[in-house]
Amino acid sequence: MVATTDPDDRTEASSPPPPVRRPRHRIAFAVSVFGELLITVGLVLGLFVAYSLWWTNVTADREANRQSDQVRHHWADPGPGALDTKDGIGFLHVPAMHNGEVLVKKGTSAAVLNDGVAGYYTHPVKSALPGDPEGNVTLAAHRDGHGAKFHNIDRMRKGDAIVLETKDTWYVYKVYDILKETSKYNVQVIDQVPKESGKKKPGRYITLTTCTPVYTSLYRYVVWGELERTQKVDSDRTPPVELR
Amino acid sequence: MYGWIWRHLPGNTWVKALISFVLVLAVVYVLFQYVFPWAEPLLPFNDVTVNGSAPWPGSVAAR
Repeated sequence: MVATTDPDDRTEASSPPPPVRRPRHRIAFAVSVFGELLITVGLVLGLFVAYSLWWTNVTADREANRQSDQVRHHWADPGPGALDTKDGIGFLHVPAMHNGEVLVKKGTSAAVLNDGVAGYYTHPVKSALPGDPEGNVTLAAHRDGHGAKFHNIDRMRKGDAIVLETKDTWYVYKVYDILKETSKYNVQVIDQVPKESGKKKPGRYITLTTCTPVYTSLYRYVVWGELERTQKVDSDRTPPVELR
Repeated sequence: MYGWIWRHLPGNTWVKALISFVLVLAVVYVLFQYVFPWAEPLLPFNDVTVNGSAPWPGSVAAR
């Protein structure tokens, strides 16, 4: 969009353009409109990046905090049942990810995960719940945008603690295997006995999944942990040593 | 295009600038509130689960 080629700018000039140059002005006009459209598309795409990587985090964190408060409130106010699956089953604490607590809710649909929470799988392989005598608690959360709760999953190393806090128990897991890249079709990683991590017998496992590399959804990143111990929640909700 | 809009805005330069600013804000609002939330699930950037089927959650059909 060069101003001097704009036909309407010429009209403001002291001498009107000679009529012989009119066709060229039409072309110049078309080129300038096309250029402006390109600039507009560029700006919209730029805004979309800002939306994806920043704004969805703002809204998701707000929503996650609201829902977390609801769950905490519900826990403080004794209700029926030890494990309340309606508002969320608990909170995930992974010190290595430096992201505080992540609310864990049922389901891994976009509607659930976009609120900035981690979801446990109901499909294609059903997750176990932390209180089950054996099974694999399989979770998914966003790597970027929408709270980006598993953004730092690549900082986790073998031996790191994964702590799942429910209403009355702290479940302390230890990372024993990491799969840095796998296909999204590899649903075996969330099996109740995750053979790909080397386990052959049923036990109490946890599996975190998200997408990788960052800012894409090309592959999946998987972290497996095994239950090390459990700890009853005391009246002050004193966190286990792993979180101090 | 933008030149056309500018010339059709009423008032002097300051009023035009103010109206333009409000228009830009309105466009950004519509994009963030309606267009992007609609477009995002259609794009393959935010798919985090293993599901062996559709590239986005929501249409996890049986395999």
